[in-house]
Amino acid sequence: MTSEYRPEDEAPLAAETAAAAEAVIGPPPAGRPAMTLRRGLRQALLILPLVLLVVWTVMPFIVTLSVSFKHRAQVFADPSIIPDLPTLTAYKEVLGSESFTTSFVNSVVVGAGTTALTLIVGVPAAYAFARFRFRGRHFLLLFALLPRLVPSLGLMVPIYRLAVAAGLLDKRITLIIVYTGMLLPLAVWLMLGFFQQIPKSIEEAASVDGATLWGRLRYIVAPLAAPAMITVGVLAFREAWNEFTLVLVLTTSPGNRTLPYELYQMQGIEGLANFPGEAAFAMLTVVPFVLVYSRVERYVVAGLVTGSGK
Amino acid sequence: MTGRLSAPTRKERRAAAESARDTAMIGHSKATPYLFSLPAIIGVAAILGFPVLYGIWESFYRPDSLGAPKEYVGFDNYVEMVRSPDFWHSLNRTAVFVFGSLIVGTALGLFFAFALFRVVGKLRFLRAVTVAPYIISNVAAVVMFRILFNTQFGLINRTIEFFGLDGLGWLSDPGLAMVVVVLAQVWTDLPLTILILLGGLMTVDRSLLDAALVDGASGWKRARFLTIPLLTPQLVISTVWLSYSTLTGLGVVLAMTGGGPLKATQTLAMEMYTVAFRRLEFNQALAIATFILLLNAVLTLVYVRVARKYEYE
Repeated sequence: MTSEYRPEDEAPLAAETAAAAEAVIGPPPAGRPAMTLRRGLRQALLILPLVLLVVWTVMPFIVTLSVSFKHRAQVFADPSIIPDLPTLTAYKEVLGSESFTTSFVNSVVVGAGTTALTLIVGVPAAYAFARFRFRGRHFLLLFALLPRLVPSLGLMVPIYRLAVAAGLLDKRITLIIVYTGMLLPLAVWLMLGFFQQIPKSIEEAASVDGATLWGRLRYIVAPLAAPAMITVGVLAFREAWNEFTLVLVLTTSPGNRTLPYELYQMQGIEGLANFPGEAAFAMLTVVPFVLVYSRVERYVVAGLVTGSGK
Repeated sequence: MTGRLSAPTRKERRAAAESARDTAMIGHSKATPYLFSLPAIIGVAAILGFPVLYGIWESFYRPDSLGAPKEYVGFDNYVEMVRSPDFWHSLNRTAVFVFGSLIVGTALGLFFAFALFRVVGKLRFLRAVTVAPYIISNVAAVVMFRILFNTQFGLINRTIEFFGLDGLGWLSDPGLAMVVVVLAQVWTDLPLTILILLGGLMTVDRSLLDAALVDGASGWKRARFLTIPLLTPQLVISTVWLSYSTLTGLGVVLAMTGGGPLKATQTLAMEMYTVAFRRLEFNQALAIATFILLLNAVLTLVYVRVARKYEYE
């Protein structure tokens, strides 16, 4: 038995074994319909919940999109999801109305202002809590994070009363400040966790090389923190763009309303509901943010999950 | 021979490291951390902390009216609140709204989280779809649900009529209006619930599931007796969050029904809004708001307590 082991010998050996087995216990059963059926059923069981998930999530969007491409009378006459004669009437109507254009500009201004202010105020604070050891650090951190538990419902009446007293009612800057205040605990919380993950040694090395605090922030911390800042920025913009109950009480004149308020007004004022108009308005409210969101989805999901553990 | 032979204790080493850590970095003074953090702290205090405390404070006062000055009235506003039949009615509606949303939301959340968990490869695309309801405003969601549930042309009624039955007056029937409001609220809140539970599923120890599989436990039994108990921490988080979101949620109810029909969806949050901004009794409304904050805290404690009973050791 001096011959070396050669893998290619195995194949004929296996065939031989199979032949021998067949001779003893008969041929292998050919094509098992019951098995494929069961496998198909298993596949269906796996896929069905996913289909339901997509239907549950997307159906309201689909019906709204469908109605937005119909004439007012067509909504009642033509029940199909894909309209027989799609029309852009509703979109033209909404885009041409001052209520939409004004509130759109307001939403962009308030959204951008809230995003900028949240980052400008929140990021340095989170950096300080993550990097410096200073007296009162834990107490101040708790002080900055704990108010996250306050629901906006609890703020509604007091903020309104204070805004009236301070003469700040019906101003866009008030909305920016209030939204920023509401978002700061979340921003500090998310950024704090992120800064703690950046190894201190990188900054220490730069410090040894003579980099000042500003230099380190500008050339080391800011580039590394960019993804986390995008997360915080998108969450801040989302809040300002979508917030409804506070803008409802903090603005009084049509010129200062944001999109959700204007959409709510549209629902209330029209005697005979203008469904295509509402649908088109809703779609135009959703689309800009969806475009932003689709580019940064993974940051947002990460931020949502971290932020939810209040 | 005064030199130390023993190594520095752990405490000493840590103290040395602490002081070294701060001195190692140049370019900042003692004031820097405060300069960095104070704007945020002042902002949070001014926008969140102070107004809430101010609101609680004001709930113990009666406003000045007809020349009578503002005065301290103790718990009068709260006594007034519990004497009002509207308050008890809205508390009842809130219970239906919150627990209805909790049951529907948790059941759907678990179902969809399990579904998403199986498809690792395609997860990214589906996850983006799942989050879609979270990125739109409550008002836009309400517009969509009003179209979906419209009595005359809504897809839901069309489907019912397709099977030869009569369509339902979803938003005009008091009982059904609550159903639609719960569904819309759950729709907007579900993405976060799913993400929380999905995150929990990812951390479940695979070997435990494999062991159960070897022991011959069926899929349902594995979910019921193993996976779901292991998910307890995430279930607590999602329950606390859903409960908070529905108890203090006003946007969906206000835009959908405004509390109607026949006050069937007049939740506590709606009641607070009505008392404040329709009846303009702000101090009375602040008593209700304070009650909601307290109720939220109590419910959170209850959930955590209940969960502790079921948690695995």
